[in-house]
Amino acid sequence: MLISTILYERKFALTIIIASIVALAFAPALLAEYTLIKLITILMYTILTVSWTIFSGSTNYISLATAALFGIGVYLSAVLNNSLPLPVIILISGLASFILAFLIGTLTLRLKGVYFILFTLGVTALIRNVVQWWETHFTHTVGRHVPGVGNEIVYGYILAIFSITLLASFFLRHSSIGMALQGIGENDEAAEHIGINVTRIKILTFACSAIFMGAAGAVMASRWRYVDPGIAFDPLLSFLPVLMAIFGGTSRLEGPIIGATIFTLLREFLITKYPYLYMLLMGLSLIAIILYLPGGLVVQAIRWWIWLKIQWAKTKFQWQMLKSRWREEWRPKVSMWLAQWWLRVQWRLGRKR
Amino acid sequence: MNIKRQFIKSFTLVLLLALVACGGTAPATKAIAKVAPDKIIIGNAIALSGPNAPAAALSQVPSYDLWAADVNAAGGIYVKEFDKKIPVEIKRYDDTSEVGTSVQLVEKLIVEDKVNFILPPWGTAANFAIAPVVSEHKMPTLGCTVSSKQLRADAAKYPSFFGVLNQAAEQGAALVAVAKELGIKTVVVIHNTDLHGLEFDSEVVPQLTAGGINVITDKGYPPGATDLSQLLREAQAAKPDALIAFSYPPETFLMTGQMREIGFNPKMFYATVGIAFPVYRDAIAAKGAAEGVMGAGTWNPLVSADAKAYFDRHVAMFKQEPDRWASAACYASGQILQQAIEAAGTLDPAAVQTAISTGEFKTILGTVKFKDQYNTTYPGNIGQWQNGEFVIIDPGANRQAKPIYPKPNWPAP
Amino acid sequence: MMIHNLLDILITGLILGGIYALIAVGLSLQYGVGRVLNIAHGEFIMVGALTTYSLYTVFGVSPLVAIAVITPALFVIGYLLDRTLYNYLRKKSPNADAFSATSLLASFGLLFVVQNLMLLIWGANLKSYSYLNTSVSIFGALYGFNRLLALGVAVGVSIVFYIFIRSTRLGKAIRAAAENPTMAQVMTVNVKQVLAICFGLGAALAGLAGILYSLIFELQPSKGIELTIIAIVVVVFGGLGSITGSLIGGFLLGLVTSIVNFIDPSLSLVAFYLIFILLLLFKPSGILGRQIHAD
Repeated sequence: MLISTILYERKFALTIIIASIVALAFAPALLAEYTLIKLITILMYTILTVSWTIFSGSTNYISLATAALFGIGVYLSAVLNNSLPLPVIILISGLASFILAFLIGTLTLRLKGVYFILFTLGVTALIRNVVQWWETHFTHTVGRHVPGVGNEIVYGYILAIFSITLLASFFLRHSSIGMALQGIGENDEAAEHIGINVTRIKILTFACSAIFMGAAGAVMASRWRYVDPGIAFDPLLSFLPVLMAIFGGTSRLEGPIIGATIFTLLREFLITKYPYLYMLLMGLSLIAIILYLPGGLVVQAIRWWIWLKIQWAKTKFQWQMLKSRWREEWRPKVSMWLAQWWLRVQWRLGRKR
Repeated sequence: MNIKRQFIKSFTLVLLLALVACGGTAPATKAIAKVAPDKIIIGNAIALSGPNAPAAALSQVPSYDLWAADVNAAGGIYVKEFDKKIPVEIKRYDDTSEVGTSVQLVEKLIVEDKVNFILPPWGTAANFAIAPVVSEHKMPTLGCTVSSKQLRADAAKYPSFFGVLNQAAEQGAALVAVAKELGIKTVVVIHNTDLHGLEFDSEVVPQLTAGGINVITDKGYPPGATDLSQLLREAQAAKPDALIAFSYPPETFLMTGQMREIGFNPKMFYATVGIAFPVYRDAIAAKGAAEGVMGAGTWNPLVSADAKAYFDRHVAMFKQEPDRWASAACYASGQILQQAIEAAGTLDPAAVQTAISTGEFKTILGTVKFKDQYNTTYPGNIGQWQNGEFVIIDPGANRQAKPIYPKPNWPAP
Repeated sequence: MMIHNLLDILITGLILGGIYALIAVGLSLQYGVGRVLNIAHGEFIMVGALTTYSLYTVFGVSPLVAIAVITPALFVIGYLLDRTLYNYLRKKSPNADAFSATSLLASFGLLFVVQNLMLLIWGANLKSYSYLNTSVSIFGALYGFNRLLALGVAVGVSIVFYIFIRSTRLGKAIRAAAENPTMAQVMTVNVKQVLAICFGLGAALAGLAGILYSLIFELQPSKGIELTIIAIVVVVFGGLGSITGSLIGGFLLGLVTSIVNFIDPSLSLVAFYLIFILLLLFKPSGILGRQIHAD
């Protein structure tokens, strides 16, 4: 579909997206400092989750390479922050992640299902160890310091990356590529037969979705301020976006966003209010979500909403039924009975005289 | 279409309101309260879960809690501004051993919870990350589990960050001095390829060579290695006088076990982190096997009556001994903070920061004075297990006992 | 001298491989039959290890005796977990790949829960104890007895399991359920029961691995993840689902680590993951080449 067609047919959704972005742009002026910081973290996870969903959500190839693709951005920013300005670093990181994802995509052409998952997991661990080895032997130091640039600037960049990611995901979803991806997710052999160039779409989508991860990484390095290979390529960053996406649901655009937001807020709440029980409560929530919210929170919420509307409609219908029965059956009877009673009373009174 | 437009407008409005509601608006200038608070709230975001939790649970968390209990038992910290003693309360968060989370939680403590002071997280990485943050907010922070040449070199950039723990430079110097004194001619060095191992390696090996000691081999291994036996066998074959390792506790314990297995008995064995842990003496190198092992550190209950009292109270409260390196530094951080508040007479962090950088403090480590934001005195820089205690063997006035050399062979299990 | 070095590399590699194989064997069973990618596997190993520690230091129970206590306990826990959690997910998943994903995530939640429970029960402090720390001389060089014990147990378990799968009725049922659950059901195999038993066995084997692990290494609750990753690599190496494959895979990985350690120790983890990646690219079905399921 052409972009203009999408713009026309999905005007409503698109306006909401743009309105939200505009609203978020005012955040630094309106919000307390720490709320802004929380928002930065929320947006970071949202970027990761939405980018992850762009590829893995529809094709069902679960990628655990997020930590590698994000980590490259973090590490490049740590290495280059003295020599280049931040916007350039962001672009370079996006490019580096694109190349890495392209490589991974090309290599894993024939890998499916669990093998793909494990490969992406292995790639992250491999990159982490290679970087550590390289630093040990060539720079003789591990751990780099990244100067901060101020929370408002970080927020600005993150918001920009978030907006682009969101718009990209939106347009992709409603375009022919998006449908092709879903087709691949359902049955890639059939997709190939219809004439979809499965290989090309898979690799390009995966690589493009990685750009946002790398760019976000480059910005976040300035918030984390100290980066070493273990910190940049932390495997937890691969798992969390998957969990958030599944929590929110991958079939609709709002899913990853809501999933990431609630998850991040929940995590922050638990590590501050229940620091000794954080993992326990988090784990139980995860299990509950997997068990009782298949398809994700958004889809489930929509189902509940529909169920509520049906109940409401049923109640209204029954009320109407009651009303018409009243009108047609009971009221005439009651009026007649009342009239009879009144006449009888009159007659009795008349007789008494 | 009109309805939809209305919807969009109201949606934007609702979103803005939600943003505002969930976090509160940016406040206008706040007047500094002149009313005495009931408690001095000290924020502490530290690893309660994740890979850093064990070390934090041994060296840092108990010492902080013990300090708070001791302060409150005496009625609190006397603040001249309000002319009363105010008790302290530690507000603790779990940073899950992640640096990004550490930074965010420290900002939460300072900016949203508006704590009076903070105590730092565990580990060089986290302390490195929060040093600029606390300096931006002018919140004095005393690091007690951080060892980094780089951070120390940049100290002026982070005026609010102070280091209480002794650093690689002093420890390396002490190690080399002891080695020279004992007449050691050949050593094999092994180190992990993390910041700790690399820094100590670059710091100490040149000192050894400059001191006329032959470093036969110097090899690195990745942190988290499961088998060091080949490295150790190689070292064994080279028959050095000493084996020196710059390692983390898991690797220190592993190499001790494997040295015993392969029967490698160098005349001197030194490792950095882990030797000073009570669990090393009790479990890993069991049945007196720790006798003669040297490690980085150090303080012990014999240093002073205060130190002994701290040791006893720690054992009584937590049923575990403090470690012989960082635990005391962390308790001392609390003491320094208290004395700085008392000296400054106020809870204003900036004033307390000045008091810290210029003052002299009586602590269980002895007298602490900061030079360029780093502590210059420590009871000792190298220790050795002798008869169940980790004694200070630095050459000079701090020495508590002569080093045992050669180290007795590992006993049969 | 060269021979001596070579021999040493070989033996060290095999011993390390034995440890790797022992760690992996439980997961191999759980994935091979039940198709559950249980990344909480390492946590069960640590539970076994920490329980052994407590039994030894508090009650003076020897770790070898502890085997009789811990393995059945973990079997029951694993069995119940599969009957409740994973079975529910299995029913709800439209296909095997979807189940891989949901079971992976549910296991992740389990990982968090179990790790926190360990932190609450045992605390975060490092723990270690000394038992059977003797050395054995092989070809003139000394090797740790407890490591050799781990190797022995790994081999023993594989042999026992191999026989079990081939000869007993339950073993045949397991093979049937693994290869074709629908057919197996038709043949009156209670597939649900079999899968749960397999998961339980996997958990019990994890406990066994933990007991031996605690003899050799020091313990902390957060080590589980590292162990799970080793287990995953070994299992893929040997072919997902093959127990003897895990043993051979473990040995091979141990040998590779040993050789790399000889050349440049700091490269050992790089080599470890590089081999993993290369294997996935060129022979994802593993060393033994079998695509699926039991031996």
